[in-house]
Amino acid sequence: MRIFGAFYMGLSALLLALPIVVVCAAALNSGRSMFFPPQDPTLARFGEFFVSEPVWTNALWNSIIVAVGAATLAVLMAWPIAYLLWSTGSKLSKTLAGLGSLPFAVPPIVFGVGLGFFWAFTGGLGALWAGVISHAILLMALPLVTISIGLQSIDRSHLDAAATMGATEQVAFKTVVLPQTVPYTISGFFFVLVLSFNEFIVIFFVSASSYATVTLQIFNSLRNGYTPTMAVAAITFLAVSVLVFSAIARWGDLPRLMGADQSRK
Amino acid sequence: MGGLVLKGISKSFGNTRAVEPTDLTFAKGELTALLGPSGCGKTTLLRMIAGLEEPTRGVILLGDTDITRLTAHKRKFGMVFQSFALFPHYSVRENVAYSLIIDGVPKAQAYEKANELLETVQLVGFGDRRIGELSGGQRQRVAIARALAQEPEVFLLDEPMSALDAKLREEMQVELRLLQQRLGITTIVVTHDQREAMTMADQIVVMSNGRVEQIAKPQDVYHKPANAFVADFIGKANFFDGVYRDGAIQVGDCRLKAKAGFQSGSLVRVAIRPERTCIDDDPGENRIPARVMFVRDLGPLREYHLQSEIGPIIVEYAAGETGPSLVKGDTTTVRLPPDALQVFPGARAA
Amino acid sequence: MTIADDISVSRADRPERRVSTLPAKTILLGLLTSIIVVFCVLPFLLVLAISFGRKVDGAAWVWDFTFDNYQRFFVGVLWPDEVTFLYLQQLGFSFYFAVIASLLAVLTALPFTLQLTRLKRTSQAMWLVFIMASLSLSEVFIVMGWDILLSNNSGLPKLFKETGLTQWLKDVGWFQHLRDWGLANPRNVKFKTSDFATILTMSYLVWPYAVILLYPALSRLDPSLSEAARTMGASRWTVTRTVTLPSIRLPLFGTTLLLFVFLLGTYVSITVFAAPNKHTTAVAIYSNIRGANLNAPFGATQAIMLLISASACLYLGHVFNRRSEVR
Repeated sequence: MRIFGAFYMGLSALLLALPIVVVCAAALNSGRSMFFPPQDPTLARFGEFFVSEPVWTNALWNSIIVAVGAATLAVLMAWPIAYLLWSTGSKLSKTLAGLGSLPFAVPPIVFGVGLGFFWAFTGGLGALWAGVISHAILLMALPLVTISIGLQSIDRSHLDAAATMGATEQVAFKTVVLPQTVPYTISGFFFVLVLSFNEFIVIFFVSASSYATVTLQIFNSLRNGYTPTMAVAAITFLAVSVLVFSAIARWGDLPRLMGADQSRK
Repeated sequence: MGGLVLKGISKSFGNTRAVEPTDLTFAKGELTALLGPSGCGKTTLLRMIAGLEEPTRGVILLGDTDITRLTAHKRKFGMVFQSFALFPHYSVRENVAYSLIIDGVPKAQAYEKANELLETVQLVGFGDRRIGELSGGQRQRVAIARALAQEPEVFLLDEPMSALDAKLREEMQVELRLLQQRLGITTIVVTHDQREAMTMADQIVVMSNGRVEQIAKPQDVYHKPANAFVADFIGKANFFDGVYRDGAIQVGDCRLKAKAGFQSGSLVRVAIRPERTCIDDDPGENRIPARVMFVRDLGPLREYHLQSEIGPIIVEYAAGETGPSLVKGDTTTVRLPPDALQVFPGARAA
Repeated sequence: MTIADDISVSRADRPERRVSTLPAKTILLGLLTSIIVVFCVLPFLLVLAISFGRKVDGAAWVWDFTFDNYQRFFVGVLWPDEVTFLYLQQLGFSFYFAVIASLLAVLTALPFTLQLTRLKRTSQAMWLVFIMASLSLSEVFIVMGWDILLSNNSGLPKLFKETGLTQWLKDVGWFQHLRDWGLANPRNVKFKTSDFATILTMSYLVWPYAVILLYPALSRLDPSLSEAARTMGASRWTVTRTVTLPSIRLPLFGTTLLLFVFLLGTYVSITVFAAPNKHTTAVAIYSNIRGANLNAPFGATQAIMLLISASACLYLGHVFNRRSEVR
């Protein structure tokens, strides 16, 4: 049974890795077309993606701007809502949190269509800043959850203790609440960063083809056939994800964020 | 400044009364223990004193100053929490210096004071440790040092020993009492442990169901309980329900002589401590035949569990005391000396 | 970080903050509420409003209040003279792919997650990094990977042919079955386009989500329950059947439902792997709003119908959960 379990996990991992490995290996092709296994392996495609091909370097910059902007904005919006929810538990804060998570809960294509209309009316359609806001709204649910988990992990007696030692609400916030929730805030930031990087449908509707992120550029190129440079993009994105989640696992508590039972080790 | 006075303090959560209107005085420099079973309102009372809960009614005076509406961070009563509530993201020294630094005391000065306090609680050299690296006893010392750093008018402790194991608890009780006497600081300790209360307190306030049952010195709480609840809660006691009639109490078919002034015919509850109950040939009053059901020898104590016509009775002899040597199944006579009987209004009469 | 660092900022601005606390709070609250309403609610309302609009010649549309789009969705534009269920059929395909793919993902993720929760905390974290990385990988990359693996002149079909597997399948007669299922052309096996490839990719897409969603419930399973059953003589399989599965019935159902709703809107996998006559509502929405058809009001109608279907499923699931919890 134990052996079977390990075997099953291994098999799952293999299947999970299979398309990723194929894409990664394809990046080493020297020619214009994809082969697997790669023919005449070279790293020249990395240069194209990061330096020389303006189509890809522009897309990469757009992706970075959207992801970093959206992550910052999402955390800034999620913080007050999560804090309100935790400190007051009022009906308004519950409604705000519920509505704030709505875009993430429905099929993304519906929200994408809605935002497409919304930006068409407000003049943001096709503007990069509108893409940033769109992703921030779509993914706000993530920092909302991680920050709420962080706030809930604060022992209320810590706040009482701070108060009996002369701390006002603001001082207690800075010395007790903030330091203890920093890892959760950072985790939320990176969740948004990574998911925004990889998001396709919503940005597809709000970009209106006037700019391209990496995922959009890949989709546009799908019809013309694959090029190894696209595979480089895939490797880059995968590397970013692995780095980010490793960091969260190392400095945050990934099992806890994923909802594991705390009492067991 | 003088002591702390509570006048008619009460607290309701919705429709439930957590603390009934209460008057209490905490003398300056004395240690008072709020003692009672869990859920009796003692912690709520302590939190109202700290300013962490707002009283529904009543006034809190510190000396002549009304501090009822003063928030916790303005009262600055040092408090030690049940979980200690030490900040895990700060070092031991930073925890102790917390109140000073947020008050604007220069860092160097605050840390020097913190080091002094750590010395007071015998934690020299622990300043740079993280909280997670400390044992339970060390954490408690840090919590005490931290609460004392602000030199509070009143020092509050909420079940301070409950996170410690039994042996350490006794040591810390003595240590804390010595420290408190040395500093001469008005102190209030919430506890459900009568040994803890009797070890440390100048004055004990026994509470149940949000009500104060008795305020007295430790010895009086034990020897002169104000009512049946206190007699039951503090130490062990044998209880009998009966009717008072002409200087004696009718319990079943048995008449017990006792000193009490009740109206004839009133229902009463009689209590007697196991160590005041005797098994001997003394031809005194209140002799009742009984059978030994169980014997246990605890080392310093020997207990006989007896069954008599007025109910079960436990008799206790200290080691070295000359007592009978009985075994399970023996029949004997138990004596309840009239001056050892405490008579309270009966449960139904109250 | 030391306490002095944390506090240095707050001391400087303490006095003026205390004065402005109350209005600042109200302003913040008002600002938050308006942001949420404008960005999280308004887009959906716009879709709803536009779904009642009317298309005019030349790719534009005007505000209106007509049910023509909904009529078209259910019975076609020429009703009552002519009835077509084309759009309902598209919604049907959305359901078809989403149901099978989500079930497949949950059923295969369940044993994996059970094993995962039995590992040490540190190994769990490592696996979670791997799972999260593949979870966040964009749909376009995943489709690209499977496309390379499944397309006719590279990957698996080529592998089948070159290793002689195709020939072997032909020899034993199974090749004909594959052709019947649409997984082969006269010369070799083919996976594009096929339901198999579509469902495989969609299921792969949500598989990490299935693990992540099942993980909390499974990691809270009390091991002493199954140990108790073991001491009463139950075999491992009996324990799984009588103790483990019943206690995770609700999260299992909830996870399937969430993945199903998520998959209802899948776009890239369907366009690449599904046969054109099996395209779903999501594809139709795209072609109406951004693609060839350019009929925004009708696209909005289809989006609303997709949203209603998804909400209805979530609501039914909620009711079902309630009922089984009561029981």
